[in-house]
Amino acid sequence: MPDEPEKKDDVVKVNFDFRRELAEKIEGNLASFCYQCGACVGDCPATMYSDTFNPREIMLKVLYGLGDELLGEDSVMWECTNCYNCHERCPQEVKPVEVIISLKNMLADRGIYPDPVAKVIKTFEETGRTTPLSGAVDKQRERFGLPPLSVVPMDEISLLIEPAPPEGEDN
Amino acid sequence: MKRYAFFPGCLIPTRHPAMEFAIRHTLPKLGIEIVDLEGTSCCPDPIYFKSKDKMSWLAVAARNLTLAEEQGLDIFTNCSGCTATLSETYHLLEDMSLREKVNQRLKRIGREYKGTSKIRHIVTLLRDVAGYDAIRESVVRPLDGLKVAIHYGCHLLKPSRIMQVDDPNDPSVMERLVEALGAVPVRHRNWYLCCGKACQREDIPSNMMHDLLGAVQEEEADILGLICPTCFGQFDHGQMKVSKQFGEDFHTPPIYYFQLLAFAQGVPYDKLGLERQRFKPECLRQFETAAAAASSSETE
Ligand code: SF4
Ligand code: SF4
Repeated sequence: MPDEPEKKDDVVKVNFDFRRELAEKIEGNLASFCYQCGACVGDCPATMYSDTFNPREIMLKVLYGLGDELLGEDSVMWECTNCYNCHERCPQEVKPVEVIISLKNMLADRGIYPDPVAKVIKTFEETGRTTPLSGAVDKQRERFGLPPLSVVPMDEISLLIEPAPPEGEDN
Repeated sequence: MKRYAFFPGCLIPTRHPAMEFAIRHTLPKLGIEIVDLEGTSCCPDPIYFKSKDKMSWLAVAARNLTLAEEQGLDIFTNCSGCTATLSETYHLLEDMSLREKVNQRLKRIGREYKGTSKIRHIVTLLRDVAGYDAIRESVVRPLDGLKVAIHYGCHLLKPSRIMQVDDPNDPSVMERLVEALGAVPVRHRNWYLCCGKACQREDIPSNMMHDLLGAVQEEEADILGLICPTCFGQFDHGQMKVSKQFGEDFHTPPIYYFQLLAFAQGVPYDKLGLERQRFKPECLRQFETAAAAASSSETE
């Protein structure tokens, strides 16, 4: 059997399109300041309890532009507990959790979310709350002598969460 | 009376009205007037909606802050998640180019964010506005010897540069607040661990909660004092789930701090909605009978 031809393309090529798209997100560009010290890892609960999650590795993949590895259907991003320990610890103010949330924004742009996440988002977009009102809620509030909950002006919320037009907002 | 705009969020007013009742009952006794805001929405939550689109998240959060700005008041929150969203929004919108972008969105609804209302987590109102002494003086039913394990949760403390509540490596506010009621705070060995609620891979939060509950139980505390409604769910409903799943008997009843404060200020146990909890802090009843006995011997 002939030897496998020597691979010439195992050099990492930075996918700049991916990095540009990430940089468009709020605080999405912060990974650029990461010097891979690992200070974000020690107190990361997701790292402690998962064999696949590590914020330093995620930042490295961002630096390498490995968008395909980060943005698949099985993305590890949802393992993050949003505890903010990495944000607290990073000496470079990379805010790894914010980069991770920006990556989730990119996942969302591609229509990828776990069902429970999609469900809460839908409730918010329809009612302006993440836990909707109901007769049972009103009753409980009455029992404690609490004022009725104020109505969320959904016309305002809906306008606000519409994406900006591609040419930007007009003034 | 110092006046503050109240941002109740979603979780407490809909799922835990008893917590809101306790807040509305206790703050005025400590010289803090609650001003309700009309038309607030979800903060929006820093886990789910923020994952979809940070820009929309920021715009809706900024809208909520404009409601307090219109009243010329600082705003206080009773949920660590709301505090995270609103404090971060305040912080991010100190960047004028981002503020400009957000204000372009707000223009769609005729609003403008100005950055004139500060955000305060409710515990900082107790500590910095009311003060521990005033809390101590408001207590009619001292919780002498009650052992209260403390769990801070994550967003109250971190990121500390933005939240500005306490030292994330060695906080003290919850301990001092518990002491002011006459109780004894204890810190469990996993106090730094997250409750895991936001994580979307099921085994991770279960294992985390298992280790958390084990550490709490080791302290043999009477109750677990909490300040975050999300942690509360994990320690109440979640404590039952994890006990079953791991075949263990975890059983420390959690309580939201303001319900404990209201109880110490004299609200009857049965008025606090505690019977709705999976794990009920029945141990508090002893203080009701003790206080009743003390007051009847005084009047004799
Ligand atoms: S702590 Fe900051 S600089 Fe260090 S590896 Fe993590 S993200 Fe990079
Ligand atoms: S926020 Fe996410 S990445 Fe950061 S320490 Fe917590 S679990 Fe780890």
